[in-house]
Parts: sequence; structure tokens; C-alpha cells
Amino acid sequence: MLEVRSISKGFAGVPAVNDISFEVSENEYITLLGSSGSGKSVLLRIIAGLLEPDAGEIILRGEDISKRACHERRIGFVQQKYALFPHLNVFDNIAFGLRHRNNDRITDESLITRKVSEMIELVGLVGQEQKMTGQISGGQKQRVSLARTLVTSPEICLLDEPLGALDANLRERMTIELQNIRKELGISFIHVTGNEFEALAMGQKMLVMSEGHIVQQGEPQTLYTMPQDLTTAKSMHSFNIFSGDMMADHLKSGLKGKAPSAKISRASHCAVRMDKIDIAKPTAKASGLEATFLTSEFLGNKVIYFFKTNDDRICEVEDHMSLSEPKHLNPNNAYLLSWDAADMLLYDENKQLIS
Amino acid sequence: MDKVASLKWFLGIFTALFVLFLYGPFIVMGILSFQQGPEGGPQFPIIEWSTYWYQHVFGIAPPSRVAPLPIGEALFRSLSLAFATMVVSTVMGVLTAQAFRSQFRGSGVVFYSVILGMIVPGVLLGLGMALLANQLGIDRNWWSTAFVLHVVYTYPFAFLVMLAIFNRFDTSVEEASLSLGVSPARTFRKVTFPIIFPGVLSAMLFAFTLSYDEFPRTLFTGGSDVTMPLAIYGTFAVEIHPNLFAFGVLTTLFSFALLAIYGILLTVSTRRQRAKASGLQEDIS
Repeated sequence: MLEVRSISKGFAGVPAVNDISFEVSENEYITLLGSSGSGKSVLLRIIAGLLEPDAGEIILRGEDISKRACHERRIGFVQQKYALFPHLNVFDNIAFGLRHRNNDRITDESLITRKVSEMIELVGLVGQEQKMTGQISGGQKQRVSLARTLVTSPEICLLDEPLGALDANLRERMTIELQNIRKELGISFIHVTGNEFEALAMGQKMLVMSEGHIVQQGEPQTLYTMPQDLTTAKSMHSFNIFSGDMMADHLKSGLKGKAPSAKISRASHCAVRMDKIDIAKPTAKASGLEATFLTSEFLGNKVIYFFKTNDDRICEVEDHMSLSEPKHLNPNNAYLLSWDAADMLLYDENKQLIS
Repeated sequence: MDKVASLKWFLGIFTALFVLFLYGPFIVMGILSFQQGPEGGPQFPIIEWSTYWYQHVFGIAPPSRVAPLPIGEALFRSLSLAFATMVVSTVMGVLTAQAFRSQFRGSGVVFYSVILGMIVPGVLLGLGMALLANQLGIDRNWWSTAFVLHVVYTYPFAFLVMLAIFNRFDTSVEEASLSLGVSPARTFRKVTFPIIFPGVLSAMLFAFTLSYDEFPRTLFTGGSDVTMPLAIYGTFAVEIHPNLFAFGVLTTLFSFALLAIYGILLTVSTRRQRAKASGLQEDIS
């Protein structure tokens, strides 16, 4: 339904978004993952019509809307910082679009009341209608912001780090609620985030952005287990990445069993999942990549161990509590790290996965 | 600790003396306005306390050798001139500040040419305007030539006030409105204006008071029908009577009343916004 074709945008000659193309289907939840400065917010603002692209087209239901003004696009935009109207109460905030929009403005107050009340019920704000926006909590503000956009029934809804300003607890709850609300309304969402867990959990399709490019798109599970691009692997924050001269040495010592030397010789980078690494005490028989244990972090359901290799590289190992007991390791002692060839991803000099 | 305490006392007393000095003229004027009349003059000691000079200002005192102040029409002129100046300057100030929210070519030149109006000495500007009017054969009047100069003078103030307001303005609420399908013009009316309204009030107050007691520009361009500051100057250029002081007290009270109205309007408009303003900033930071 929405097609983004070769969109580019630069600021003062520096490209922020570079030749980006992707498609959104009907009733789809897309997440767009990228670190800050990757151009993801710029892309969203271009789609919303708040920024003009230097090149490219945006096609909505077969119609080129690239030149259309923001208020004529019928694209909803939920901002990170809520951007609620401070001079209006919750009800009037939500009713604002219906009352004042240029097309299909609703003048029948009873119809507005009905639509707004339905939306208030859907997002769980019953009883808050008359409060001013300063009197409600961050999570409620987020709901008002969402309700305000959704009540105007946009063709598609863009969310710019919608959960970014919420605390972790609320974030998890809103994650589920956002999905439920979307399913109920059947509107496609493009959800921009810098949090890989959010992106993995929420999207039916996931795009990974870096330096103004989309480096990979696909199903979250595929992207997580088989990142085709090293940048994708990096943005998952679940891989130890080895690069440079020492890489081959590291691989040879860390690999259990026979090394696929033909592939290794082509590889410039290597990624090993943090939860797929075994830790062993150095004995005469044992083999592995030698590393010094630094410290560990207990996170409830898992423990993260931090090691330093001989070339001063930090290597993280994750242990899930459901699979094993926490290990007692001595700081500043040497240990051996090892992994299976199957859990190792090799990338060529262009950062592409070697299959 | 002792040092800090004594420093606090010193600064407190210093400030109190300073404020007393600032308001000294007003206090003296206030006391002398209750001088006995019509014989009592504008100096101490007070012969006898009376409200004679207030009655004189309102024209209800028995006739005497002291001529009544020619303020009736002058006051009307000053108030209408100040009101018109306030409206025009504030509208222009708001619109100009709105333009300055986005970068445009030549913005520096435009900025300084607007600001010039409040920097150039009033006497020079008044004289220049008078010469120009003569050259072009335009009559000088308080509602024409003087009005233009009042706007030239107060517009930069209104502009700067609004510039500061817009500086703190969170653009994302306007973007939210646009993305809800609301046109830019309606967004300005329904979102931007209500939020900047306290600032607009301040700009109005500035423009009104500056115009209300403007002297040098009006002197050269106001023509024969004088405004209030000129009328007052005209009377005490001849002879000073305490009726002037009585009038001064009344004018000051009027200014206070204006300030009070401004304060009330501001409170009313910010009361609802207070809760909300925190809604904008608090949680994000």
C-alpha cells in the first residue's frame, strides 16, 4: 500500500538518507531499527511530509504523494516526545484532528464524542478525558498521542521511537498494547526505534538502517539468527565481532572441531553469538581462545561475563539461567572460550555474509 | 556563616535604599499632590492636607487663577494612539518573529533594519520624519505621521519579545497538528497562537506603554493637536502647580491598573497552561 522509492535527503551536502526503497503491505507492522544518526527519523519525517526529499518518490495506494503537503497526506505521525497540545485537555487533544482537519472535518459534536470515546476506551484512558496533559503520566501521554492520531483513521501510522521516553516496565506493557491496538484497527504501522529488542519483538517485518542506508530487511527471526550484513549483526547487540589481523588466529583457537578454512580465508570479519560460547578453565587438554575474565553482570534471567582477549578486545558471553547455573569465575584469571563452527558467521570485506 | 549573614544584611539594606531612591520622585509627587490649594505651591512644607488639586484635575474645584490642565482631549489622543500602535506593532511583531523561525536569505539585514527603529535616537527620527513630511507636502498629525513613528519605535520591541517566545517554542506540536490533517493557517490559530498568547500579551503591554508616554518623536511629528506627554510638558514649561502632581498620581494608578489587567489576563491564560506546560517539558528531560 505504501511504497518508498529511492528516497534521498542530505543536509548541507551530507547525505542523511541515501537511496532508500521499501514497501509496506496492508495491515502490517514494520519496525525500523537504527542507532542515532542512522537517518531513521529523517526517513520518517520525509514520509510524513515534514521534510522534503532531495530525490525519490513516495507512493500511497498507487498515488505519488511526494509533493503533497503534510496535512494532505493522511499519514499519521506519533512523535517521540508526545507533542500533546498543552492548552487542551485529553478529550480535546484526541478530538483535535476530527474537528480541525481540512478534509472530512466533522462538525457534529455527538459524532466526535462517540469516536473519541471509542478511541479512549481502546487505548485505556477512560476517566482521564477532562485532565490537562500536564496532569497525566508519561504512559498516558503516549496513549493520548497515539489515540489522537488513530482516531483520524490515517492510511498508515508512523511512530518515532514511541516508547523511547517511557521507563522499562511501561515500555514492555506498551509493546503488547501497541500490537493489540494495531490489530484491532487494521492500520499499518512503521515503528522507528533504536532498541533491538523492541524491533525484534514488535515487527512482522524489520528494516535495519545504518548511515542512511537500509542494510537489511526481512523477518525479525531471520535477521537475528542470520544477519546478512555485519551492520545488522552489530545492531543486534548479541554478537561478538572479530575483525582485522588477529581474526583468523582467534577463530582457529576458538573453534571446536574442524575449521572451514576455505571460508575463513575469504573472511574479513566474524560474528559469534554471545549465548553460543562455552567457557572452560585452561587445562592441558582443553583448547580455545585465551581470554582474561574481567567481571560479570547478573540480569536476573541471564548473566553476562566480560572477557578481554590478548589483543585487548572485549568479548561478552551470555548464559541463560534456564540452561545453566551461574558460573563462579575469578577476575583476572585466564579462561578458554570456544564455539561451534555452526554458530559462527563469516563476513567478507564488504561486510556481507559468506554462505 | 557570620560573614554570609552580614553580607545578606548589607545587600538587603542596599537594595532597599536603591528601591527607595528609584521611587523617591513618585513618593514626593504623591505627597505634594495633597498640598492645600489653590495657594499652596509645588514644594514643602505641606501647608494643609487636601484633595483640592484632584478636584482641580477633574474640573470640580471652584474657579481660581490656576488654569485647568488641557488634558481631556490629549488623554483621548494618547490612549487611541497607544491602542492603535499596540495593535499594529504586535501584529507585525508576531508575524515577523514567525518569519524568523525559519532561516531565509537576508535575514540578518531584515533583523537589523527592524531593530534600527528602537536604536536611532527619537529626536533625530522625529526631525527626519518632519522634514520628509514637509518635502512630500503631508500634514503632520498625531494619527498619521506620529502614528507611523510610534509603530517604527515599538514594533522592534514587540518583535524581540515574540522572538524570545518563539525561541522556546516546541515545534513538534505544530507538526503534530499538520500530520493530523490540519492546514498550516488553522494550525497557527488553534495551536501556535494559544500557546504563545502570554508572550503576545507582553508584546502588547510593551507597545502600549512605550507609545503612551512617547515624547521626542511625537514632538516633531504630532502637529498642533498634542498628545498627553506634550500637553503636560506644555503646562509646566510655564508654571508648575500641584495639579500636575495629582494628575501624575492618577496616571501612575492608571498604569498600575493596566499592569493588573495584564497580570490577570496572564494568570487566566497560564493557569490552564501551567499543568500543561509541564506536560510538554517535564517528562522528556
